Amino acid sequence: MRKARNIAFQTLAALCAAASFGVLALILAAILFRGLPAVSWRFLTEQIRLVGADGGIFFNLVGTLILMVTALLVSSPLAIGIALTHSIYLQSAILRRRILLLLYLLNGVPSLLFGIFGFILFVKYLGWGKSWLSGGILLGMMILPTVTIALVERIASLPRAYTEAAAGLGLTAAQTIWSVILPQSLGGLVTGSLLGLARAAGETAPIMFTATIFAGAHLPDGIKESPVLSLPYHIFILAQDSFDPSVGAKVWGTAVVLLALVCGLSLIALPLRLRIHEEARNG
Amino acid sequence: MDSVPGKPQQIIEISGLQVHAGPRQILRNIKLGIPGHSAFALVGPSGAGKSTLLRCINRLVELTPGLRVSGEVRLHGRLVTGPGVDVDELRCRIGMLFQQPVVFPKSVFQNVVFGTRHHGRVHRRDWPEVAERALTEASLWNEVKDRLHEPALRLSVGQQQRLCLARAMAVDPEVILMDEPTSALDPRSTEAIEELILRLKTHRTIVVVTHNLDQARRVADWVSCLCVRDGVGEVAESGCCSDLFEKPQVGEVAAFFRSASRYAASVEGPVTPGATLE
Repeated sequence: MRKARNIAFQTLAALCAAASFGVLALILAAILFRGLPAVSWRFLTEQIRLVGADGGIFFNLVGTLILMVTALLVSSPLAIGIALTHSIYLQSAILRRRILLLLYLLNGVPSLLFGIFGFILFVKYLGWGKSWLSGGILLGMMILPTVTIALVERIASLPRAYTEAAAGLGLTAAQTIWSVILPQSLGGLVTGSLLGLARAAGETAPIMFTATIFAGAHLPDGIKESPVLSLPYHIFILAQDSFDPSVGAKVWGTAVVLLALVCGLSLIALPLRLRIHEEARNG
Repeated sequence: MDSVPGKPQQIIEISGLQVHAGPRQILRNIKLGIPGHSAFALVGPSGAGKSTLLRCINRLVELTPGLRVSGEVRLHGRLVTGPGVDVDELRCRIGMLFQQPVVFPKSVFQNVVFGTRHHGRVHRRDWPEVAERALTEASLWNEVKDRLHEPALRLSVGQQQRLCLARAMAVDPEVILMDEPTSALDPRSTEAIEELILRLKTHRTIVVVTHNLDQARRVADWVSCLCVRDGVGEVAESGCCSDLFEKPQVGEVAAFFRSASRYAASVEGPVTPGATLE
């Protein structure tokens, strides 16, 4: 009886795992099957033509990359500042917990609300119109919790002895941070940023009112009224119009490119994380 | 700070020192004078707060959250406790060696000049000279002179501990605090560190916490024995090394020495044939 239960439980667990991998495999297969034929060198290097029915997604790819680099540049210094405040400077455990709580809250804010907030602040109040910068800042705010928490965990895993040894040599707190803590926790920043960006790359809601348009934008040449094209918004618009078979192929093709970008970022993050851990252990 | 004839000049004076961790008291009313250019050993049962007392001298104790320190520590008669003291400057003058060697994941050379480069008092082109002097002083130069740019973590643990000592000495401190510096080391490395203490104490002041009474006997000139009274650490007796070990005046100290030597005999003593190991 106990044996039978054990086997039943194992089977159930295996079925659950199989079901989730099955769904993932189905999504991947459907996208690759329909999208791969549309992806070609021309598709990647040409700009959009005939309202998406022809041409490629060059400026969409560039636009998404611009948004992601901006998000990275916005989130990294903020994340370092918050993590150091949390882990090094704050003595009070209550305040530390509050900071983490705020980060988790920020993480839970629906992305659409980021979009509305950005619309009110950047587009209307600051009068930027649609701008790559507001999209980058909003995506940076969105990934901030992921990056910061990765960094905080990394700093917490540093041996306390390092800090004591540096302080014992008469280094100031700032010198200890620059020479010991930051170099050793850089891995957390890198992996956290990659994982955050992998999520941000596919977000539509925060950028659709604030940063991206469907067609007619090239490289931004300023801040005000300089939107970019982007991959997720391209899919969003075309998917509503996909009765036309030539448009449909372009949607699936764009989906493949976006998927490759996201998976690529996650895949880089994984071995990097392992390698940096290894280095920390063996020098 | 009046120097009594026959008594050496004390460079560190501790008085009325108390340490609390939350509601619990760890050290009570510590009074100690540490003479310059000598080795001073802190001994006592574990849990008596020897390491905490040591860390009060360079105020490293402040890095441990939740500890409250009151009382006075003076270096050359100048108060180093309380606000308004440059703690980083203090720690330049009072170096520290920990129980486990803490080398940074950098090269041997980068480890030795780690403190020096951050203090910014020595020009970059003089760093190799500083490194050689410090490594020589720590009796490590001959072993590492050809591998200065290899990762320091490749050294043996004993070499790493001497590297840490070299790193501390590269900033030329007048006092070196050692927190059970040999408890993680094999006998040969232990011997090397003990020889170093004997050599260093001619021109620096060494304060060493040790649980090994024979070590204290071998290296120290002065010794202070802490004991636990009602769960709180106190100084039971201090004095010249030979006097204190020969004729301890306080009952608890004598009892601690007896139990420690019984333990040492049971660990290191000749094994009688037929004796059962417990």
